Amino acid sequence: MKRLVIGALIAAGAVVQAQLPVPALYDEWRRVTLDGVVTRVAWANPRAYVFVDVRESGGTASAGTVANWAIEIGNPLDLEQRGWSRTTVRIGDSVSVEAVPARDSSKRALMSAFWTTRPRARVFSGSPRASASESKGPAPRWPDGQVRLGPPAGRKGYWGAPSLSTMSESGSKVSVRADGLLTNLSDADRVAPFQPWAKAVYLQRQRTLLKDDPAARCLPTGGPRQFHTPNGFQFVEQRDLGRILVLFGGGNRNWRIIYTDGRPLGQAAEAVPSYYGSSVGRWEKDTLVVESVGYNERFWMTNGGLPHTEALRLLERFSRPDLNTLRYEVTVDDPRTYTRPWRSEWTVRWVPDREIEEFFCEENAESTFIR
Amino acid sequence: MRTRTIVLTVVFVGLTASARTQEGHPLTGTWAGDWGPSGASRTHITMVMNWDGKAVTGVINPGPDAVSLTAVSVDWGTWTVRIDAKGIAAEGRMEDIGSSHRRIVGTWSQGGAKGDFKLTRD
Repeated sequence: MKRLVIGALIAAGAVVQAQLPVPALYDEWRRVTLDGVVTRVAWANPRAYVFVDVRESGGTASAGTVANWAIEIGNPLDLEQRGWSRTTVRIGDSVSVEAVPARDSSKRALMSAFWTTRPRARVFSGSPRASASESKGPAPRWPDGQVRLGPPAGRKGYWGAPSLSTMSESGSKVSVRADGLLTNLSDADRVAPFQPWAKAVYLQRQRTLLKDDPAARCLPTGGPRQFHTPNGFQFVEQRDLGRILVLFGGGNRNWRIIYTDGRPLGQAAEAVPSYYGSSVGRWEKDTLVVESVGYNERFWMTNGGLPHTEALRLLERFSRPDLNTLRYEVTVDDPRTYTRPWRSEWTVRWVPDREIEEFFCEENAESTFIR
Repeated sequence: MRTRTIVLTVVFVGLTASARTQEGHPLTGTWAGDWGPSGASRTHITMVMNWDGKAVTGVINPGPDAVSLTAVSVDWGTWTVRIDAKGIAAEGRMEDIGSSHRRIVGTWSQGGAKGDFKLTRD
């Protein structure tokens, strides 16, 4: 029996994908072992599933009956990076799966390890393959010397994994899980300088395991959270048009526009507040400085549930100290939510010689996919 | 007829989706419900509240008979809301907080009368 180890997928999948967030959906304190035969493989975004007929064990009223379990195995793009393909597991395979069961009584679980009895099955590691073509070097530049935020001329690539998957105030030491849940709720005051109502809302979201997260319903991840979204992003610098497009590989494959044509910051009073706001940018030496206003209140500003109001203003600074590193710094100014402006920062890793892959959050909405 | 049905369906779905996703300050928005001393005797209430960063302001029954709120306070530990207006005092607990259609349920005093009230955020 060969073993497919995909333990890291729990953490990867916990970064918000479609539908209920992972912490709210699965009971991480329980484990089940499911032995059975594969009946269906759903290789779809954002969550791939293997369906397995499992014979109920003795000692229960349903002993001997067969139940069809939906086993979530992770995001296909992550799986492919770990060497798993849509044909790795096939209908009719006998498998054994260690998994985290759903919090409710549904026959649904999140894989933590996977064995197949099929001969010559590959053995997989739990971490992504290292890029064979990763190269080092200085930040690429345009002919006039300006730093390029996209790939070097004639090359491909995009920005991939962030160094942090959630946001808290720079300099504060807070233990936060990949999904944004605090290890200790008493650390909340160190996450950000909350107004009392905002802290109450943040704690309520934490205590309910992020179950009301708008991103889990495939709504756009506005604000700084856009740079925490799985599956990366890329900059398309349209210098002749005076704007930079930011294309997101996760969520709903949305885009954001940063105008660099010198227009003033502002938004007409009658304009509809939006998920990505209204942004203007300027270069200060090798740093792109972006100011944004005009946000709606329909998104959570980060994994973990930081709130905000329409008064939110962001000051973002993008710099590229070398080919493979994007440094992102953001100052959050929302006096209706926080007692003072505060700052956070992280870096993002370059993925060379690859294009962002197709990913649609809505593709396997629970209502149409899981029985 | 069929076209109208489709259009109405699209509009309804759109409204439902947007209503589910309102975030921000928990009291901001329009609330609707009623109060009364018994189930048989109810008076409709529309309440509009807004958070300006320092205080919650608002009105009851906006329009020609509007009554301005004089004070709104919240105990964030218990999610208990206290609402005062001219001749009116209400106190209730916020429920289903994570939903955009959260509720406030409690007791309402107006003039010499007392009763219960329930408001649901639109």
